[in-house]
Amino acid sequence: MGFDFSLVTPRLGFFWAGTLVTIETSALSLLFGSILGVFIGVLRVAPVRPLRSLAACYIYVIRGTPTLTQLFFIYFGLPALGINLTAMASGIIGLSLNSAGYIGEIVRGGIEGVPVGQWEAARVLGLSYPGAMRFIVLPQALRAMLPAIGNEFVTLIKESSLLSTLAIAELTMAGQQVRSVTYASFETFIIVGAIYLLLTTLTSMALRQLEKRWDVL
Amino acid sequence: MDCPNAAASRGIISVKGLHKSYGGNAVLKGIDLDVKEGEVVSVIGPSGSGKSTLARCLCRLEGIDSGTVSLCGVEISSGSHGNGDIARMVGLIFQQFNLYPHISVRDNITLSPVRILGMSRGEANELASSLLARVGMSDKADARPRQLSGGQQQRVAIARALAMRPAIMLFDEPTSALDPELVGEVLDVMEQLADSGMTMLVITHEMSFAKDVSDRVIFMDDGVIVEQSPPAILFSNPQRARTRQFLQRLLPRPDGGSRTRTGDDIDGL
Ligand SMILES: Nc1ncnc2c1ncn2[C@@H]1O[C@H](COP(=O)(O)OP(=O)(O)O)[C@@H](O)[C@H]1O
Ligand SMILES: [Mg+2]
Repeated sequence: MGFDFSLVTPRLGFFWAGTLVTIETSALSLLFGSILGVFIGVLRVAPVRPLRSLAACYIYVIRGTPTLTQLFFIYFGLPALGINLTAMASGIIGLSLNSAGYIGEIVRGGIEGVPVGQWEAARVLGLSYPGAMRFIVLPQALRAMLPAIGNEFVTLIKESSLLSTLAIAELTMAGQQVRSVTYASFETFIIVGAIYLLLTTLTSMALRQLEKRWDVL
Repeated sequence: MDCPNAAASRGIISVKGLHKSYGGNAVLKGIDLDVKEGEVVSVIGPSGSGKSTLARCLCRLEGIDSGTVSLCGVEISSGSHGNGDIARMVGLIFQQFNLYPHISVRDNITLSPVRILGMSRGEANELASSLLARVGMSDKADARPRQLSGGQQQRVAIARALAMRPAIMLFDEPTSALDPELVGEVLDVMEQLADSGMTMLVITHEMSFAKDVSDRVIFMDDGVIVEQSPPAILFSNPQRARTRQFLQRLLPRPDGGSRTRTGDDIDGL
Protein backbone atom coordinates (compact mmCIF):
# COMPACT_ATOMS: atom_id res chain seq x y z
CA MET A 1 0.00 0.00 0.00
CA GLY A 2 1.29 3.41 -0.84
CA PHE A 3 0.72 6.63 0.97
CA ASP A 4 0.08 9.61 -1.14
CA PHE A 5 0.51 12.96 0.54
CA SER A 6 -0.03 14.71 -2.77
CA LEU A 7 -3.75 14.29 -2.22
CA VAL A 8 -3.70 16.36 0.93
CA THR A 9 -0.99 18.90 0.19
CA PRO A 10 -3.31 21.07 -1.95
CA ARG A 11 -5.53 21.28 1.15
CA LEU A 12 -2.79 22.61 3.48
CA GLY A 13 -4.78 25.82 3.77
CA PHE A 14 -7.43 23.88 5.72
CA PHE A 15 -4.85 22.64 8.17
CA TRP A 16 -3.44 26.11 8.56
CA ALA A 17 -6.85 27.64 9.23
CA GLY A 18 -7.66 24.83 11.67
CA THR A 19 -4.38 25.29 13.44
CA LEU A 20 -5.07 28.99 13.92
CA VAL A 21 -8.48 28.22 15.43
CA THR A 22 -6.93 25.63 17.72
CA ILE A 23 -4.29 28.11 18.85
CA GLU A 24 -6.88 30.81 19.35
CA THR A 25 -9.32 28.69 21.36
CA SER A 26 -6.56 27.06 23.40
CA ALA A 27 -4.84 30.34 24.18
CA LEU A 28 -8.04 32.04 25.27
CA SER A 29 -9.09 29.03 27.34
CA LEU A 30 -5.62 28.90 28.92
CA LEU A 31 -5.83 32.57 29.76
CA PHE A 32 -9.33 32.52 31.24
CA GLY A 33 -8.81 29.10 32.78
CA SER A 34 -5.61 30.24 34.50
CA ILE A 35 -7.14 33.41 35.91
CA LEU A 36 -10.23 31.59 37.13
CA GLY A 37 -8.09 28.66 38.29
CA VAL A 38 -5.90 30.85 40.50
CA PHE A 39 -9.06 32.37 41.92
CA ILE A 40 -10.55 28.92 42.60
CA GLY A 41 -7.28 27.74 44.16
CA VAL A 42 -7.15 30.73 46.48
CA LEU A 43 -10.78 30.20 47.50
CA ARG A 44 -10.00 26.52 48.03
CA VAL A 45 -7.69 27.40 50.96
CA ALA A 46 -9.59 30.48 52.16
CA PRO A 47 -9.90 30.88 55.93
CA VAL A 48 -13.69 31.05 55.41
CA ARG A 49 -15.31 27.64 55.27
CA PRO A 50 -18.21 28.37 52.87
CA LEU A 51 -15.77 29.73 50.30
CA ARG A 52 -13.56 26.67 50.71
CA SER A 53 -16.51 24.35 50.27
CA LEU A 54 -17.72 26.20 47.20
CA ALA A 55 -14.33 25.88 45.51
CA ALA A 56 -14.02 22.23 46.56
CA CYS A 57 -17.44 21.54 45.08
CA TYR A 58 -16.50 23.19 41.80
CA ILE A 59 -13.29 21.19 41.49
CA TYR A 60 -15.17 18.01 42.39
CA VAL A 61 -17.73 18.46 39.64
CA ILE A 62 -15.26 19.52 36.97
CA ARG A 63 -12.87 16.68 37.68
CA GLY A 64 -15.61 14.13 38.06
CA THR A 65 -17.38 14.69 34.74
CA PRO A 66 -16.14 14.31 31.15
CA THR A 67 -14.98 17.44 29.37
CA LEU A 68 -17.19 16.49 26.44
CA THR A 69 -20.24 16.36 28.69
CA GLN A 70 -19.37 19.79 30.06
CA LEU A 71 -19.12 21.20 26.53
CA PHE A 72 -22.43 19.62 25.50
CA PHE A 73 -24.07 20.93 28.62
CA ILE A 74 -23.03 24.48 27.83
CA TYR A 75 -23.82 24.35 24.12
CA PHE A 76 -26.90 22.13 24.05
CA GLY A 77 -28.08 22.32 27.65
CA LEU A 78 -27.92 25.99 28.57
CA PRO A 79 -30.37 27.16 25.89
CA ALA A 80 -33.01 25.51 28.07
CA LEU A 81 -32.27 28.31 30.56
CA GLY A 82 -32.44 30.88 27.81
CA ILE A 83 -28.66 31.10 27.51
CA ASN A 84 -27.81 30.75 23.84
CA LEU A 85 -24.11 30.81 23.08
CA THR A 86 -22.36 30.37 19.78
CA ALA A 87 -20.37 27.19 19.34
CA MET A 88 -17.17 29.16 19.63
CA ALA A 89 -18.23 30.92 22.85
CA SER A 90 -19.50 27.63 24.30
CA GLY A 91 -16.24 25.95 23.44
CA ILE A 92 -13.99 28.59 24.94
CA ILE A 93 -16.13 28.98 28.05
CA GLY A 94 -16.34 25.22 28.47
CA LEU A 95 -12.62 24.65 28.16
CA SER A 96 -11.89 27.61 30.43
CA LEU A 97 -14.21 26.39 33.15
CA ASN A 98 -12.79 22.91 32.75
CA SER A 99 -9.14 23.89 33.01
CA ALA A 100 -9.96 26.25 35.89
CA GLY A 101 -11.00 23.21 37.90
CA TYR A 102 -7.75 21.40 37.29
CA ILE A 103 -5.59 24.51 37.67
CA GLY A 104 -7.49 25.36 40.86
CA GLU A 105 -6.45 22.05 42.34
CA ILE A 106 -2.85 22.62 41.25
CA VAL A 107 -2.91 26.10 42.82
CA ARG A 108 -4.29 24.70 46.07
CA GLY A 109 -1.38 22.28 46.21
CA GLY A 110 1.09 25.03 45.41
CA ILE A 111 -0.23 27.30 48.14
CA GLU A 112 -0.19 24.51 50.69
CA GLY A 113 3.40 23.74 49.73
CA VAL A 114 4.64 27.19 50.78
CA PRO A 115 6.22 26.85 54.24
CA VAL A 116 4.14 28.21 57.10
CA GLY A 117 7.13 30.37 58.07
CA GLN A 118 6.42 32.52 55.02
CA TRP A 119 2.89 33.24 56.25
CA GLU A 120 4.24 34.01 59.70
CA ALA A 121 6.97 36.32 58.42
CA ALA A 122 4.47 38.19 56.26
CA ARG A 123 2.09 38.50 59.18
CA VAL A 124 4.61 39.83 61.71
CA LEU A 125 5.72 42.27 59.04
CA GLY A 126 2.22 43.65 58.99
CA LEU A 127 0.60 42.03 55.96
CA SER A 128 -3.03 40.99 56.13
CA TYR A 129 -4.12 37.55 54.90
CA PRO A 130 -4.92 38.82 51.39
CA GLY A 131 -1.68 40.80 51.31
CA ALA A 132 0.39 37.81 52.38
CA MET A 133 -1.38 35.67 49.80
CA ARG A 134 -0.86 38.14 47.00
CA PHE A 135 2.69 39.31 47.61
CA ILE A 136 4.35 36.42 49.40
CA VAL A 137 2.58 33.06 49.12
CA LEU A 138 0.97 33.04 45.70
CA PRO A 139 4.08 34.17 43.79
CA GLN A 140 6.08 31.38 45.40
CA ALA A 141 3.30 28.86 44.83
CA LEU A 142 3.01 29.76 41.15
CA ARG A 143 6.73 29.23 40.61
CA ALA A 144 6.55 25.84 42.25
CA MET A 145 3.46 24.94 40.21
CA LEU A 146 4.84 25.78 36.79
CA PRO A 147 5.60 22.18 35.76
CA ALA A 148 2.11 21.02 36.73
CA ILE A 149 0.54 24.02 35.02
CA GLY A 150 2.57 23.21 31.92
CA ASN A 151 1.08 19.72 31.87
CA GLU A 152 -2.37 21.20 32.19
CA PHE A 153 -1.70 23.55 29.27
CA VAL A 154 -0.66 20.58 27.12
CA THR A 155 -3.76 18.67 28.18
CA LEU A 156 -5.92 21.60 27.29
CA ILE A 157 -4.44 21.94 23.80
CA LYS A 158 -5.24 18.27 23.22
CA GLU A 159 -8.72 18.55 24.67
CA SER A 160 -9.47 21.46 22.36
CA SER A 161 -9.92 18.75 19.70
CA LEU A 162 -13.26 18.05 21.42
CA LEU A 163 -14.48 21.34 19.98
CA SER A 164 -14.79 19.55 16.65
CA THR A 165 -17.94 17.98 18.10
CA LEU A 166 -19.44 21.48 18.27
CA ALA A 167 -18.59 21.91 14.56
CA ILE A 168 -15.90 24.44 15.36
CA ALA A 169 -13.40 24.49 12.52
CA GLU A 170 -10.36 23.76 14.63
CA LEU A 171 -7.56 21.43 13.65
CA THR A 172 -9.32 18.09 14.15
CA MET A 173 -12.38 19.38 12.35
CA ALA A 174 -10.16 20.56 9.50
CA GLY A 175 -8.77 17.04 9.35
CA GLN A 176 -12.28 15.64 9.07
CA GLN A 177 -13.02 18.02 6.23
CA VAL A 178 -9.86 17.13 4.34
CA ARG A 179 -10.48 13.42 4.88
CA SER A 180 -14.03 13.61 3.63
CA VAL A 181 -12.98 15.10 0.32
CA THR A 182 -9.69 13.26 -0.23
CA TYR A 183 -10.36 9.96 1.57
CA ALA A 184 -6.67 10.08 2.51
CA SER A 185 -7.42 9.40 6.18
CA PHE A 186 -4.01 8.13 7.13
CA GLU A 187 -2.09 11.02 5.63
CA THR A 188 -4.55 13.57 6.96
CA PHE A 189 -4.38 12.48 10.55
CA ILE A 190 -0.62 12.02 10.45
CA ILE A 191 -0.46 15.70 9.61
CA VAL A 192 -3.06 16.65 12.23
CA GLY A 193 -1.16 14.65 14.86
CA ALA A 194 2.15 16.21 13.88
CA ILE A 195 0.71 19.70 14.23
CA TYR A 196 -0.68 18.91 17.71
CA LEU A 197 2.70 17.50 18.67
CA LEU A 198 4.36 20.67 17.48
CA LEU A 199 1.95 22.86 19.45
CA THR A 200 2.31 20.87 22.66
CA THR A 201 6.08 20.69 22.29
CA LEU A 202 6.39 24.43 21.76
CA THR A 203 4.15 25.06 24.77
CA SER A 204 6.21 22.76 26.96
CA MET A 205 9.42 24.38 25.80
CA ALA A 206 8.12 27.87 26.46
CA LEU A 207 7.08 26.88 29.97
CA ARG A 208 10.41 25.24 30.65
CA GLN A 209 12.12 28.46 29.62
CA LEU A 210 9.92 30.35 32.05
CA GLU A 211 10.72 27.84 34.77
CA LYS A 212 14.43 28.38 34.20
CA ARG A 213 14.06 32.12 34.31
CA TRP A 214 12.08 31.98 37.53
CA ASP A 215 14.34 29.43 39.09
CA VAL A 216 16.86 32.02 40.17
CA LEU A 217 15.06 32.21 43.49
CA MET B 1 7.97 53.92 66.11
CA ASP B 2 8.14 55.65 69.42
CA CYS B 3 5.84 54.60 72.15
CA PRO B 4 3.96 57.62 73.44
CA ASN B 5 2.02 55.63 75.98
CA ALA B 6 4.86 53.47 77.18
CA ALA B 7 5.96 55.87 79.91
CA ALA B 8 2.48 55.94 81.39
CA SER B 9 2.22 52.18 81.47
CA ARG B 10 4.28 49.77 83.50
CA GLY B 11 6.56 48.97 80.62
CA ILE B 12 6.86 48.95 76.88
CA ILE B 13 6.01 45.27 77.17
CA SER B 14 3.51 44.42 79.87
CA VAL B 15 2.17 40.90 80.24
CA LYS B 16 -0.27 39.92 82.96
CA GLY B 17 -1.51 36.45 83.81
CA LEU B 18 -0.83 35.07 80.35
CA HIS B 19 -2.15 31.56 79.87
CA LYS B 20 -1.90 29.61 76.64
CA SER B 21 -2.55 25.99 75.85
CA TYR B 22 -2.67 23.87 72.72
CA GLY B 23 -5.55 21.47 72.96
CA GLY B 24 -5.34 20.27 76.53
CA ASN B 25 -1.61 20.96 76.76
CA ALA B 26 -0.93 24.02 78.93
CA VAL B 27 2.18 25.68 77.54
CA LEU B 28 2.17 29.06 79.31
CA LYS B 29 0.85 28.89 82.85
CA GLY B 30 0.50 32.44 84.05
CA ILE B 31 3.27 34.69 82.75
CA ASP B 32 3.75 38.15 84.24
CA LEU B 33 6.38 40.23 82.54
CA ASP B 34 7.27 43.89 82.30
CA VAL B 35 10.04 45.18 80.10
CA LYS B 36 11.16 48.80 80.23
CA GLU B 37 11.90 50.87 77.19
CA GLY B 38 15.47 50.24 76.06
CA GLU B 39 15.84 47.16 78.22
CA VAL B 40 17.48 44.04 76.80
CA VAL B 41 16.05 40.84 78.25
CA SER B 42 17.39 37.38 77.53
CA VAL B 43 15.14 34.38 77.96
CA ILE B 44 16.75 31.03 78.63
CA GLY B 45 15.30 27.67 79.53
CA PRO B 46 15.03 24.10 78.38
CA SER B 47 13.40 23.14 75.10
CA GLY B 48 9.63 22.92 75.38
CA SER B 49 9.43 25.36 78.28
CA GLY B 50 7.27 27.77 76.27
CA LYS B 51 9.83 30.39 75.23
CA SER B 52 8.82 30.47 71.57
CA THR B 53 5.15 30.46 72.47
CA LEU B 54 5.72 33.49 74.69
CA ALA B 55 7.48 35.37 71.88
CA ARG B 56 4.70 34.44 69.46
CA CYS B 57 2.03 35.65 71.88
CA LEU B 58 3.93 38.93 72.24
CA CYS B 59 3.55 39.68 68.54
CA ARG B 60 0.09 38.09 68.27
CA LEU B 61 1.27 35.29 66.03
CA GLU B 62 -0.61 33.19 68.57
CA GLY B 63 -3.81 34.12 70.32
CA ILE B 64 -3.92 33.79 74.08
CA ASP B 65 -6.39 32.02 76.35
CA SER B 66 -6.40 34.47 79.24
CA GLY B 67 -4.48 37.40 80.61
CA THR B 68 -3.36 40.50 78.76
CA VAL B 69 -0.47 41.47 76.54
CA SER B 70 0.21 45.18 76.16
CA LEU B 71 2.84 46.78 73.98
CA CYS B 72 3.54 50.49 74.21
CA GLY B 73 0.61 50.75 76.58
CA VAL B 74 -1.76 49.29 74.01
CA GLU B 75 -3.48 46.01 74.74
CA ILE B 76 -2.87 43.91 71.64
CA SER B 77 -4.60 40.83 72.94
CA SER B 78 -7.99 42.51 72.59
CA GLY B 79 -7.92 41.71 68.88
CA SER B 80 -8.97 45.08 67.52
CA HIS B 81 -5.63 45.82 65.87
CA GLY B 82 -4.62 45.00 62.34
CA ASN B 83 -1.42 43.17 61.58
CA GLY B 84 0.05 46.48 60.42
CA ASP B 85 -0.58 48.09 63.82
CA ILE B 86 1.19 45.25 65.59
CA ALA B 87 4.11 45.29 63.15
CA ARG B 88 4.71 48.96 63.87
CA MET B 89 5.18 48.07 67.54
CA VAL B 90 7.05 44.80 67.46
CA GLY B 91 9.31 42.81 65.15
CA LEU B 92 10.12 39.11 65.41
CA ILE B 93 13.27 37.38 64.23
CA PHE B 94 12.83 33.67 63.52
CA GLN B 95 15.30 30.88 64.02
CA GLN B 96 14.85 29.94 60.33
CA PHE B 97 15.09 33.57 59.04
CA ASN B 98 12.00 33.16 56.83
CA LEU B 99 13.19 35.63 54.22
CA TYR B 100 10.99 35.79 51.13
CA PRO B 101 12.90 33.62 48.64
CA HIS B 102 11.27 34.92 45.46
CA ILE B 103 12.36 38.54 45.72
CA SER B 104 15.63 40.37 46.22
CA VAL B 105 17.11 41.32 49.56
CA ARG B 106 16.12 44.93 48.89
CA ASP B 107 12.53 43.98 48.10
CA ASN B 108 12.38 41.82 51.21
CA ILE B 109 13.09 44.96 53.19
CA THR B 110 10.94 47.44 51.27
CA LEU B 111 7.79 45.33 50.83
CA SER B 112 6.16 46.16 54.15
CA PRO B 113 7.26 49.81 54.29
CA VAL B 114 5.71 50.31 50.85
CA ARG B 115 2.59 48.20 51.34
CA ILE B 116 1.89 48.86 55.01
CA LEU B 117 3.52 52.16 55.89
CA GLY B 118 2.68 53.69 52.50
CA MET B 119 6.26 54.76 51.86
CA SER B 120 7.22 55.74 48.32
CA ARG B 121 9.49 53.28 46.56
CA GLY B 122 12.36 55.77 46.52
CA GLU B 123 12.06 56.42 50.22
CA ALA B 124 11.83 52.70 50.96
CA ASN B 125 14.90 51.95 48.86
CA GLU B 126 16.86 54.57 50.76
CA LEU B 127 15.68 53.06 54.02
CA ALA B 128 16.75 49.62 52.79
CA SER B 129 20.19 50.93 51.87
CA SER B 130 20.75 52.46 55.26
CA LEU B 131 19.50 49.37 57.09
CA LEU B 132 21.64 47.08 54.95
CA ALA B 133 24.64 49.25 55.75
CA ARG B 134 23.76 48.96 59.42
CA VAL B 135 23.85 45.15 59.29
CA GLY B 136 26.90 45.10 57.02
CA MET B 137 25.08 43.80 53.93
CA SER B 138 25.24 46.78 51.58
CA ASP B 139 26.74 44.78 48.75
CA LYS B 140 23.92 42.19 48.71
CA ALA B 141 20.88 44.36 48.03
CA ASP B 142 20.23 42.71 44.68
CA ALA B 143 20.97 39.14 45.79
CA ARG B 144 18.29 36.54 46.36
CA PRO B 145 18.13 35.14 49.89
CA ARG B 146 19.29 31.69 48.87
CA GLN B 147 22.53 33.14 47.56
CA LEU B 148 23.40 34.22 51.10
CA SER B 149 24.87 32.32 54.02
CA GLY B 150 22.68 31.71 57.05
CA GLY B 151 24.38 34.49 58.99
CA GLN B 152 23.83 36.91 56.13
CA GLN B 153 20.19 35.87 55.81
CA GLN B 154 19.61 36.47 59.48
CA ARG B 155 21.20 39.91 59.27
CA VAL B 156 18.91 40.75 56.36
CA ALA B 157 15.97 39.46 58.39
CA ILE B 158 16.94 41.89 61.16
CA ALA B 159 17.14 44.75 58.65
CA ARG B 160 13.74 43.73 57.26
CA ALA B 161 12.16 43.80 60.70
CA LEU B 162 13.75 47.16 61.54
CA ALA B 163 12.30 48.65 58.35
CA MET B 164 8.90 48.74 60.06
CA ARG B 165 10.52 50.90 62.76
CA PRO B 166 9.23 48.77 65.61
CA ALA B 167 9.73 49.89 69.21
CA ILE B 168 10.42 46.32 70.30
CA MET B 169 12.40 43.49 68.73
CA LEU B 170 11.85 39.86 69.66
CA PHE B 171 14.41 37.22 68.75
CA ASP B 172 13.55 33.51 68.87
CA GLU B 173 16.86 31.66 68.93
CA PRO B 174 18.25 33.80 66.13
CA THR B 175 21.55 31.92 65.91
CA SER B 176 20.43 28.34 66.59
CA ALA B 177 20.16 27.42 62.90
CA LEU B 178 23.59 28.83 62.05
CA ASP B 179 26.91 27.15 61.53
CA PRO B 180 29.10 27.99 64.52
CA GLU B 181 31.39 30.28 62.56
CA LEU B 182 28.43 32.45 61.48
CA VAL B 183 26.98 33.03 64.94
CA GLY B 184 29.30 35.91 65.82
CA GLU B 185 28.29 38.19 62.96
CA VAL B 186 24.62 37.98 63.95
CA LEU B 187 25.33 38.49 67.65
CA ASP B 188 27.42 41.54 66.76
CA VAL B 189 24.49 43.09 64.91
CA MET B 190 22.20 42.33 67.85
CA GLU B 191 24.67 43.87 70.26
CA GLN B 192 24.82 47.04 68.16
CA LEU B 193 21.06 47.14 68.16
CA ALA B 194 21.03 46.80 71.95
CA ASP B 195 23.57 49.61 72.24
CA SER B 196 21.36 51.81 70.08
CA GLY B 197 18.67 51.63 72.75
CA MET B 198 16.28 49.12 71.15
CA THR B 199 14.01 47.27 73.53
CA MET B 200 14.84 43.61 72.99
CA LEU B 201 13.61 40.24 74.20
CA VAL B 202 16.02 37.56 73.09
CA ILE B 203 15.41 33.84 73.45
CA THR B 204 18.85 32.36 73.24
CA HIS B 205 21.21 29.56 74.05
CA GLU B 206 24.12 31.94 73.60
CA MET B 207 25.10 32.43 77.20
CA SER B 208 27.73 34.97 76.16
CA PHE B 209 25.01 37.22 74.79
CA ALA B 210 22.82 36.72 77.84
CA LYS B 211 25.71 37.57 80.12
CA ASP B 212 27.40 40.39 78.31
CA VAL B 213 24.62 42.20 76.50
CA SER B 214 21.38 41.78 78.40
CA ASP B 215 20.23 43.81 81.35
CA ARG B 216 18.14 40.98 82.69
CA VAL B 217 17.97 37.23 82.22
CA ILE B 218 14.75 35.28 82.57
CA PHE B 219 14.82 31.57 83.20
CA MET B 220 11.69 29.80 82.01
CA ASP B 221 10.71 26.24 82.71
CA ASP B 222 7.48 24.37 82.17
CA GLY B 223 5.46 27.40 81.14
CA VAL B 224 6.40 29.71 83.99
CA ILE B 225 9.09 32.27 84.70
CA VAL B 226 11.10 30.54 87.39
CA GLU B 227 13.59 33.25 88.10
CA GLN B 228 14.80 36.54 86.69
CA SER B 229 17.64 38.85 87.59
CA PRO B 230 20.56 40.75 86.11
CA PRO B 231 22.92 38.31 84.41
CA ALA B 232 25.70 38.79 86.95
CA ILE B 233 23.37 37.57 89.67
CA LEU B 234 21.47 34.90 87.78
CA PHE B 235 24.55 33.17 86.44
CA SER B 236 26.68 33.39 89.57
CA ASN B 237 24.04 33.03 92.23
CA PRO B 238 20.83 31.43 90.98
CA GLN B 239 18.20 31.25 93.69
CA ARG B 240 16.17 28.31 92.47
CA ALA B 241 17.25 24.72 92.22
CA ARG B 242 15.80 24.36 88.73
CA THR B 243 17.82 27.30 87.48
CA ARG B 244 20.99 25.92 89.04
CA GLN B 245 20.35 22.56 87.45
CA PHE B 246 19.82 24.08 84.01
CA LEU B 247 22.91 26.25 84.26
CA GLN B 248 25.08 23.42 85.51
CA ARG B 249 24.25 21.39 82.45
CA LEU B 250 25.08 24.35 80.25
CA LEU B 251 28.11 25.82 81.89
CA PRO B 252 30.72 23.68 83.54
CA ARG B 253 31.98 26.80 85.32
CA PRO B 254 29.05 29.14 85.98
CA ASP B 255 31.41 32.08 86.52
CA GLY B 256 33.50 31.20 83.49
CA GLY B 257 34.78 33.63 80.89
CA SER B 258 32.63 35.61 78.53
CA ARG B 259 31.97 34.93 74.85
CA THR B 260 31.96 31.21 75.37
CA ARG B 261 29.54 29.79 72.93
CA THR B 262 27.57 26.93 74.27
CA GLY B 263 24.85 26.62 71.70
CA ASP B 264 26.23 23.48 70.10
CA ASP B 265 26.43 21.56 73.31
CA ILE B 266 22.85 21.94 74.32
CA ASP B 267 20.97 21.38 71.10
CA GLY B 268 19.17 18.42 72.56
CA LEU B 269 17.86 20.19 75.59
N1 LIG C 1 1.36 24.93 67.33
C1 LIG C 1 1.46 24.08 68.36
N2 LIG C 1 0.55 23.10 68.54
C2 LIG C 1 0.63 22.25 69.58
N3 LIG C 1 1.58 22.28 70.51
C3 LIG C 1 2.52 23.24 70.41
C4 LIG C 1 2.52 24.18 69.33
N4 LIG C 1 3.57 25.00 69.49
C5 LIG C 1 4.20 24.59 70.61
N5 LIG C 1 3.59 23.53 71.16
C6 LIG C 1 3.99 22.85 72.38
O1 LIG C 1 4.19 23.81 73.37
C7 LIG C 1 5.30 23.49 74.18
C8 LIG C 1 6.24 24.65 74.26
O2 LIG C 1 6.76 24.89 72.98
P1 LIG C 1 7.70 26.12 72.68
O3 LIG C 1 7.03 27.38 73.07
O4 LIG C 1 8.13 25.98 71.27
O5 LIG C 1 8.93 25.85 73.65
P2 LIG C 1 10.43 26.35 73.55
O6 LIG C 1 10.50 27.45 72.56
O7 LIG C 1 10.77 26.78 74.94
O8 LIG C 1 11.24 25.18 73.15
C9 LIG C 1 5.91 22.25 73.60
O9 LIG C 1 5.50 21.15 74.36
C10 LIG C 1 5.33 22.18 72.21
O10 LIG C 1 5.18 20.83 71.83
MG1 LIG D 1 11.60 27.53 70.75
